[in-house]
Amino acid sequence: MAVASLPQQHAEHAEGGVDRFYEETRDLRLTGFLFFLFSDVVLFSAFIFAYLYLRNSGQSWPPPGIARLDVAFAAWNSVVLFGSGATMHYALENWKHGNFNKYAGMLIATIVLGIAFLGGQAYEYTHLYFVDKVSWAGSGIFGASFFTLTGMHGFHVAVGVVYLTVLLLQSIHGVYTKDKHFGLTAGTLYWHFVDIIWVVLFSIFYLI
Amino acid sequence: MAVAATHVGGGIADHVHPEPQGFIRRYVFSIDHKIIGIQYLITGFIFLVLAGLLAEVIRTQLMNANGGFVSNNTYNEVYSIHGSAMVWLVVIPLMTGAFGNFVMPLQIGARDVAFPWLNMISFWMFPVAGLMLFSSFLMGAPVAGWTEYPPMSLQGEAGTSMWCAAIFLVGISSTLTGMNFMVTILKMRAPGMTLTRMPLFVWAQLATAPLSMVATTALAGALAALFMERQFGVPFFDPTKGGSPLLWQHMFWFYSHPAVYIMILPAFGMISEILPTFARKPIFGYKMIAFSSVTIALAGFMVWAHHMFTSGLAPFMQLPFMLLTFVIAVPTGVKIFSWITTLWGGKIHFTSAMLFAIGFVVLFALGGITGIFLASVPTDLHLHGTYFVVAHFHYVLVGGSLMGIFAGFYYWFPKMSGRMMNETLGKWHFWLFVAGFNGTFLPMHWLGFEGMPRRVAVYDPQFQFWNRVESVSSYVMTFAILLFFINILVSLRRGKKAGPNPWKARTLEWQIPSPPHYYNFKHVPTVYGLPYDFSEPLPYRGLEDELTDAPAPVPAGAH
Amino acid sequence: MTGSMIANIERAGAIAGGIVVFFVSVVALKNDWKTPGLDNQFFKIMLALLAFGALIALLAGAHVLGNFGKAA
Repeated sequence: MAVASLPQQHAEHAEGGVDRFYEETRDLRLTGFLFFLFSDVVLFSAFIFAYLYLRNSGQSWPPPGIARLDVAFAAWNSVVLFGSGATMHYALENWKHGNFNKYAGMLIATIVLGIAFLGGQAYEYTHLYFVDKVSWAGSGIFGASFFTLTGMHGFHVAVGVVYLTVLLLQSIHGVYTKDKHFGLTAGTLYWHFVDIIWVVLFSIFYLI
Repeated sequence: MAVAATHVGGGIADHVHPEPQGFIRRYVFSIDHKIIGIQYLITGFIFLVLAGLLAEVIRTQLMNANGGFVSNNTYNEVYSIHGSAMVWLVVIPLMTGAFGNFVMPLQIGARDVAFPWLNMISFWMFPVAGLMLFSSFLMGAPVAGWTEYPPMSLQGEAGTSMWCAAIFLVGISSTLTGMNFMVTILKMRAPGMTLTRMPLFVWAQLATAPLSMVATTALAGALAALFMERQFGVPFFDPTKGGSPLLWQHMFWFYSHPAVYIMILPAFGMISEILPTFARKPIFGYKMIAFSSVTIALAGFMVWAHHMFTSGLAPFMQLPFMLLTFVIAVPTGVKIFSWITTLWGGKIHFTSAMLFAIGFVVLFALGGITGIFLASVPTDLHLHGTYFVVAHFHYVLVGGSLMGIFAGFYYWFPKMSGRMMNETLGKWHFWLFVAGFNGTFLPMHWLGFEGMPRRVAVYDPQFQFWNRVESVSSYVMTFAILLFFINILVSLRRGKKAGPNPWKARTLEWQIPSPPHYYNFKHVPTVYGLPYDFSEPLPYRGLEDELTDAPAPVPAGAH
Repeated sequence: MTGSMIANIERAGAIAGGIVVFFVSVVALKNDWKTPGLDNQFFKIMLALLAFGALIALLAGAHVLGNFGKAA
């Protein structure tokens, strides 16, 4: 991908130790990436609005005949995901300070925690489906809103796990340097974004 | 940003890509914003013809009170696809994709948009989405109009799902273009071009881009939900399973009301360029026009429920939405008065572009006034779902947006092609179009007042006289557009050479050759002021070599 | 193991992990407090929200928050 290979190709622009071309394209890419995350927030917001709207259109929630969600397990699973946010933060910090080994350890921990969260979600889905008999299409607006939103989020986590794995491999191959690591910054932003969305989803599905 | 930079250009704005070689890389999968803009233009005009022919099917059907030209179901399919195609495949791509792409980077003194590859990808999603939309005819097109309200859209044929997918795709294309333009305008302006020195067309694009970015994503959510409900039975909107048809209306209009500003704000920008150029007079109220665009864009997110006054909205919600909608008329009025004041005392040159710009101001003002009728709850209760609504939005979309597109096309065609359009044909185009347009849509106001419902294939015979007038007038309008396309083809071959600045305009794109070089500017200029002071020298430095034989800039590193 | 025992283990894990993540996020936020740059501003907002998320998860684990209210 061109994003990763830019810094090496334009080394000739460097003046006085500062690669102006890199700095300016980094600025563009950072702004663009933040706009991308913002529009993703809007996509989630559309479904969150739909969920809250449907939830308030009925008399009770969950609708009659559907068991309440398991808060204890979800709290534990949320902590797993939030923990991965913290490890991701320290992965980037260690990269900035040049501690490659600590960086790699933290990034691997993030990936493992992300996979653990997905595993937890898979467990929760199977439990809902087989024990509580709640399904995507067959349980009215409850199943529709819950599985659509958490599924969208789980998809984002899965994409993030792949993304972070690619970043790990790229950094092992020396694509990034101590000063030029926009890919890692973007990965961290994305992963934090996925965490923050879960803060909202956890609150609206399990807490209110 | 440095205002008086001695070092001209520099940085990302000064980075030159090597010019691609070969037909495919140059003209098909091009990453050059000018080529992509022209690609959008051609594709948009093709869809304009297709959707325009569907409109003629509608008008031909309505010649007689008992219809008979097509079956009633086909009629429903035709108006649904006509509306969808005109909104998503014609007006929005032409406004942002075509003119935004071609003109905006030139006006800010950039060599390209921020993400040229993303720009190419956004473009190629658009014709694919268009083909998908029209292919829905093969599997039973949607019949619930361009708004596709459930539960009717849930019962539609398979083509309704195809409709969802097509609009989703074109929506993603529009979102990506919005992001690209936001970053380009915020980060890639030439040195010295502060926000308050930007041409007004750039301001309009800056106000439009976040709308494309935010509102279109919300629409993507609604379309995904509708698609899931139709294909997998996941209940969101079906009231028998606990869903809410009103939810769709909220989600849809939360997009579609800002979308009407996506369709009109760039036209405001074009008019603000064209009027001062042909009145030879500085634009009146530069800052008011610029900020009113932003105000309209922000307020546009807070008025969506005025489309839903008859949908069972709680009465306490109706009053704030009505008042907020009235408030939007204020910045719009500011613009219209600024334009009129710009013309006042000017030395007006009635070129085709200027005629369309003035026509825009008049017809858009009429459409805006009927919008106030519809925004007021008591009147809307009577007029909702009648031909009055059809008249209103055709006045703003055809009399407004499409006239804006024509004005912009006559204005920037010399820059795109290097040749002038034929003025005689252009004036025939204008007068026939305006006559046909008013003949088609003006009588719809009183038909609507008398209660003729929209979206019906047959109607009460008492309305037949005006419907016949409308149908005949619509043929005149179509003939005018035919003249327009003939004019383009003739001018491309035989138009007289335009030279760099045939209109003696002052924005940056007119200071370089027509058509511009691949790299746009030999040196990125430095900007010292607004482009509208016609009595002053040009507020740019660093453009001395543009029209000479000075060598082209050297591309930096293979990319 | 009964269901309630599993739930208690989950709750204990949520509380312990929540406390750890909360303090780690707060410390990271404190260390980053003065960093400049657009990306770091966003990191700070996100760390604050992360701490908030850990807090509500731990409170949910501790039975303080959760939808055990008014169902049919």
